[in-house]
Amino acid sequence: MIKKATSAAAAAAATALLLTACTGGPSDSTGGAGDDPVAGGTVHMLQNADFSYLDPARGFDGGVNAFYRLIYRGLTMQAAGDAEDPNAIVPDLAESLGTASEDGLTWTYTLKDGLKFDNGDPITAAEVEFGISRAWDPEIGIGSPWLKQTVDAPEDYAGPYQSGDHPGIETPDEHTIVFHLIEPFPEFDNVLAQPNAVPFPVGSGAGDEFINDVIASGPYTLDTYTPGSLIKLVRNEHWDADTDDVRKAYPDAWEFEIGLEAATIDERLLAGQGTDVNAIAGKIQAATLPRVQTPELQDRLIASPAFCTTYMGMNTTKAPFDQVEVRQAVNYALDRASIQTASGGTQLADPATTIIPTAVSGHKDFDLYPSEDYAGDPAKALELLAEVGLEDGFSFVLDIRAQPSMQAQAEAVQEALKAINVEVELNVIDTSTYYETIGTPSQQSDAAITGWCPDWASSASTMVPPLVDGRLITEKGNTNLAQLDDAAVNARIDEIKAIADLAEANVQWGEFDEEVMALAPMAPLVLEKGLFLPGANIAGYHPSTSMTDLAIIGLKDPSQG
Amino acid sequence: MTFTPTELEVEGAQGGEAARDNAPPSPPASGRRLARAFLKDRAALACSVYILLVLLMALAAPLIVKLSGWGPYEFDQSAVDPDMAGLPLGAAGGMGAEHWFGVEPGSGRDIFARIVYGARVSMTIALSATVLTSVLGVVFGLTAGYFGGKVDMVVSRVMEFLMAFPALIFMIAVLSALPAENRQFLLVGVISFFGWPYLARIVRGQTMSLKEREFVEAAKASGASSGQIIFKEILPNLASTIIVMTTLAVPGYVGTEAGLSFLGVGVVPPTPSWGQMIASSVPWYAVDPAYFLIPGACLFLLVLSFTVLGDRIRRLAETGGARA
Amino acid sequence: MIRFLLNRVAGMVVVLFLVCLFTFVIFFVLSPDPAVQVCGKNCTTEAIDQIRANLGLDRPFWTQFWTFLSGLFAGRTYGTGANAVECAAPCLGYSFQSSQPVTDMIVQRLPVSATVAIGAAVLWLLAGVTAGLVSAVREGRFADRFIAGLTLTGMSIPNYVLALALQFLLVVTLRWLPFPHAVPFGEDPVQWFMNFLMPWIVLAIGAAAVYTRLTRANVIETLQENYVRTARAKGLGPGLVWRRHALRPALTPIVTIFGMDFASLLGGALITETVFGLNGIGKLAADSITKNDQPVIMGVTLLAAFLVVVGNMVVDLLYTAIDPRVRVGSAT
Repeated sequence: MIKKATSAAAAAAATALLLTACTGGPSDSTGGAGDDPVAGGTVHMLQNADFSYLDPARGFDGGVNAFYRLIYRGLTMQAAGDAEDPNAIVPDLAESLGTASEDGLTWTYTLKDGLKFDNGDPITAAEVEFGISRAWDPEIGIGSPWLKQTVDAPEDYAGPYQSGDHPGIETPDEHTIVFHLIEPFPEFDNVLAQPNAVPFPVGSGAGDEFINDVIASGPYTLDTYTPGSLIKLVRNEHWDADTDDVRKAYPDAWEFEIGLEAATIDERLLAGQGTDVNAIAGKIQAATLPRVQTPELQDRLIASPAFCTTYMGMNTTKAPFDQVEVRQAVNYALDRASIQTASGGTQLADPATTIIPTAVSGHKDFDLYPSEDYAGDPAKALELLAEVGLEDGFSFVLDIRAQPSMQAQAEAVQEALKAINVEVELNVIDTSTYYETIGTPSQQSDAAITGWCPDWASSASTMVPPLVDGRLITEKGNTNLAQLDDAAVNARIDEIKAIADLAEANVQWGEFDEEVMALAPMAPLVLEKGLFLPGANIAGYHPSTSMTDLAIIGLKDPSQG
Repeated sequence: MTFTPTELEVEGAQGGEAARDNAPPSPPASGRRLARAFLKDRAALACSVYILLVLLMALAAPLIVKLSGWGPYEFDQSAVDPDMAGLPLGAAGGMGAEHWFGVEPGSGRDIFARIVYGARVSMTIALSATVLTSVLGVVFGLTAGYFGGKVDMVVSRVMEFLMAFPALIFMIAVLSALPAENRQFLLVGVISFFGWPYLARIVRGQTMSLKEREFVEAAKASGASSGQIIFKEILPNLASTIIVMTTLAVPGYVGTEAGLSFLGVGVVPPTPSWGQMIASSVPWYAVDPAYFLIPGACLFLLVLSFTVLGDRIRRLAETGGARA
Repeated sequence: MIRFLLNRVAGMVVVLFLVCLFTFVIFFVLSPDPAVQVCGKNCTTEAIDQIRANLGLDRPFWTQFWTFLSGLFAGRTYGTGANAVECAAPCLGYSFQSSQPVTDMIVQRLPVSATVAIGAAVLWLLAGVTAGLVSAVREGRFADRFIAGLTLTGMSIPNYVLALALQFLLVVTLRWLPFPHAVPFGEDPVQWFMNFLMPWIVLAIGAAAVYTRLTRANVIETLQENYVRTARAKGLGPGLVWRRHALRPALTPIVTIFGMDFASLLGGALITETVFGLNGIGKLAADSITKNDQPVIMGVTLLAAFLVVVGNMVVDLLYTAIDPRVRVGSAT
């Protein structure tokens, strides 16, 4: 809910970012694993959590979106992980990006020729429409919300199984698809790059049909699926590389080994025995870092910047956070250096002073509450508190998730605020109910620590507004944790959203970030980066903390492992 | 209907990973003789000393921490290396004159101070759970055994049910679903809830046999009320059994509390607890073994001390000190 | 005998029913709205209502409980129309997290838990009974005392501490064992054995200590029984006395305890499986608790209780069969 995963977010970003980010750290990410990937072999992915759903209408998080990229295709998609701008949106099944009408309410796409599902059936406009309309099914369409928020549909439309064809999507011929929007949405190409905008054969996928099996349109298809332990993908013989400009699909097969403990994964990557030379995984644990110090391991290590911001939202409806001075004082007093160390140290985290992370388009570098070495400025904070007569301190309740890394961050916050006589009481909430609790204004406490990521990294439009738009405050699933409802802020959001020039809009989002931080509805804490340790035989690997482009990875030597 | 038609009784610990032993027979032995025998037993003495030490740590925690110089919550960023994921600087997890037992990775908090404060949690919870369990066990066991009939049937069924229940799974599920405030009380409550049948079963059995003995019959004949018989005749005869069973149960509760904290449903951070310290040391065991060895050793020694002590007391009660 | 059996089965059913009811009540009362969890990241109030209706959460408690119970024996149907899904008996419902049938999830993980349980049981039986016998024979001597010390240690070391210590010693420092990860038996039996060795040891040590003490106590007690003395007096050799008269009665109680221990271990060794990352029932339980996946928690709890209750009953029956001294009805 709150820690929204990105879908069409970026892969590894520019080298420049990384060089500023770490000193004496791992090798830069542009080179990938060095040698070039060649076709063949099996790439192994080691992971702890199972994918949420094989059905793209249901799943919506960074991990599963990366997986969907191997088996599903949409009209548009996020550019390759090694592209010049990996955040960009490029055509996939469509010949080109969409053409908007004058009023911005109608978007038209034309399909390529020779597209097929893994069963050999052709993919035409009808299949695209059908697949997309599944997002409206009340039981199935629990994934990305963007289609439902942008494409016009009657209130009672409940997906193809219950309500038939989607009235807001037209298919004048086999190759053409026309979308009618609720209101102009300049970033509509991003919406169609969401995982739930993929084609399926008309009539398929009702009930639990796609829970254990899929109908693939991408370069791979499901071979075996054992929930909680193994997913094996093999080539989809009906996928035609000529129709796909982005996916390279080097390996013949993929094996996702699921249910492994994080420590086990790191041990296996460190040892690199057997098939583990062909293995990749998510980011390594902080405790693994001291063990990655040999030249051979350092050589394999790849860094990726953060696409999410870890922040502490301060509930502006509750005293004393209703006073801007208090919120600013907290921002001054926080020892972001100790929070950084608690989050894994300099190689795994950067202190955050802005809402928009460095790697997301629209980021503007500023620090309104500076302190030496990010260690906090209690004196300045106390001055501010004295202005409102709170120099003797106060106490507040901080909601945190029952998860070690977040608890460590919360304890660092707690410790830093002692310096300004502020007592923080930690309210530890079970992981499974955490977002539900803090997203319910009647249940949330004075403050909460959580993370936020943009739904697509090519623009900050999904990064800042959900956190500060006063009109979005809802009884349940609220994302505006500060419950900030400021007329000027709301007006600014509408103003920037209306800008059709996306580059200009991004500049404005950066400015907006700074305007919001002047009000300090939250205290950005850290940007949690990632370090990745691929097997020695992996090539073309551009890992990302948001979504790693699996479709361009391959093996240097398929005979190994 | 009982589940085990033997003298064997299931005792103490929780969730299938239990410690079992023979039921102690009842004959009481004279106090002075026991004490003398006990003092001759070096292992028992050493264990008592360790337990007293931990108790002392728990009671005088703030004072001890003043001596050692670091509080349990104080961060020491100078003791860890931010470029190395917050690994403690120096050998053996940063042990030295400044931090006697080293520091926690990441935060640099003093492990000695956290061990001292952690003793509070372990001791409070284990001892409270023991008291509560004993009270429940004795009350239900006595009631069932003395009154028999329908009362006995109901209590016995409840005991069977509780003992068949996968307690560990359930404790974790309940604790993680309930709000985290007042965790200490919840921990004690949940541990006792599943713990009392083990004592109650034995108390029930012994009450049933005591009830038939002449002195009880005599008291009954002389017109004593049920209350008088229970408190004056039966309870004193159960004393040694209760003491032995209780001592044998303590290590189980220490272990259960640490286990629940290890699984993340124990006391709320930043309050330190040994189990939780061990849990947070798991990812670090390869690079900072001191971080898990210290709380691990403290916990192991405490459980061992209680086990040995319980064992010795049981043996003394059995033999009246003859063989100790 | 038949009456005894019927009686036991009836008792078992009552206990299992209570376990069902109790778990159901607790989760009914405590659990945060599961519909909100099922609903996922972007939820509307209507969607929640729809899911509540599908899951039957809008109905009164007793109706829900009845549906759950009947689902166990007769299966049940979820959803309506095109989205209807048939869940065959024994239906434990669907995971809120992954939409997998709980029954399948459990069945898939049973082999791992069984492997862990069987291996550990073999180890602790062998070690426990042997050490117990040695102790009994050498009662009061050095070997006895030494073993007594070991058993106290074994009983006292929390299994997660032992697990970490072993891992540090055997994997990181000495490098005798690989870091444990599941390798199918068929693929590489040696690797398979090495991977399960640590979990087996960790689980077996505590139990072995208990079995050592039990065996020792029983053997010593039996040797003092009249019939053993008689046999000795008759001039039977010590070997024969041991085999024919001492061992069998002394080991009978071990069977009792073993049945229950093994049954509860089959239901998942939560801590050990979690520490070693083994995908068994115990880890399933731990994971589902973290995710608050109520149907899975219910399923695992029921399975564990079922195993314990059935284990108890089997043991009782076995016991009456082995030990002629125990007469039906004499058990109070």
